[in-house]
Amino acid sequence: MPALIFRRFTLAFGTGFALFYVMARAWGLALFTVYPSLGIVLLGMHRSRDVADPAMDFLAPEMWWYGWTATATLGALVIGSIAALFPARWSRWFLPGSVWVAPVLAMMACVYLTIPWFRQ
Amino acid sequence: MAAALLILHGLVAVALLGAITHQMLATWAPSTARPHSFFGRFRAVHAAGYANAIVGLYVVAALLGAVVYLYFKVDVQPDLERDRHWHALGFLDLKEDFVAIGLGLLPAYWTSWRKPFADEFGRTEAVLTTILGFIVWWGFLVGHAVNDIMGFGS
Repeated sequence: MPALIFRRFTLAFGTGFALFYVMARAWGLALFTVYPSLGIVLLGMHRSRDVADPAMDFLAPEMWWYGWTATATLGALVIGSIAALFPARWSRWFLPGSVWVAPVLAMMACVYLTIPWFRQ
Repeated sequence: MAAALLILHGLVAVALLGAITHQMLATWAPSTARPHSFFGRFRAVHAAGYANAIVGLYVVAALLGAVVYLYFKVDVQPDLERDRHWHALGFLDLKEDFVAIGLGLLPAYWTSWRKPFADEFGRTEAVLTTILGFIVWWGFLVGHAVNDIMGFGS
């Protein structure tokens, strides 16, 4: 029985992670921002050029990938925990399909979000 | 330090690439007859036996990549931007997105290959393996190209 519950958790976690990652990426919902050249981490999503000077973007590049991943992990943990509480019959037919459909859609959305790089 | 980590990251990625490719082929084109060709022997492996190694290698490769990414952002990306390698940066952006999505899939992938659940819902484990395989191949090729771009591409 615990194995079945864990199985539901993992399927919902994979689905939720993909969806939350795209939302975090699209709407700028990074849990924290990393400034590797300064060696500091700030809570939330920050852009150095917005708070200081456009030149700061070059001098102190910010990194959101870690924050996006952390946001997606938190969201997926919540979704996975909720799914684990549901009866097995509710999720039997939904989760096995969603666990691969959601990542494929998320990857397509990421391609769309990356288009600006290819238009420069 | 960064060079050593990058080389280690590449070595782990090679092992991961081999393991996931073996598993993908063994899943979609299982060998039914006695293998005589190279391709036949390549796919004639016990696919489920690769799951633990793939999860471990994927996590280690992603962690090493996450550390190397810090050096890349400070020391390499400004040069790529100065030389207007926008396509390479776009492909690398996609690599980081795909790798993160793959990380989220790992628990489901792992349980899909466990005995009680394998083949429970048709081909879930095969599809998840294929998605991870695509991500690993994408990450390997893009990482390799970006690593070499200032050499042969400039």
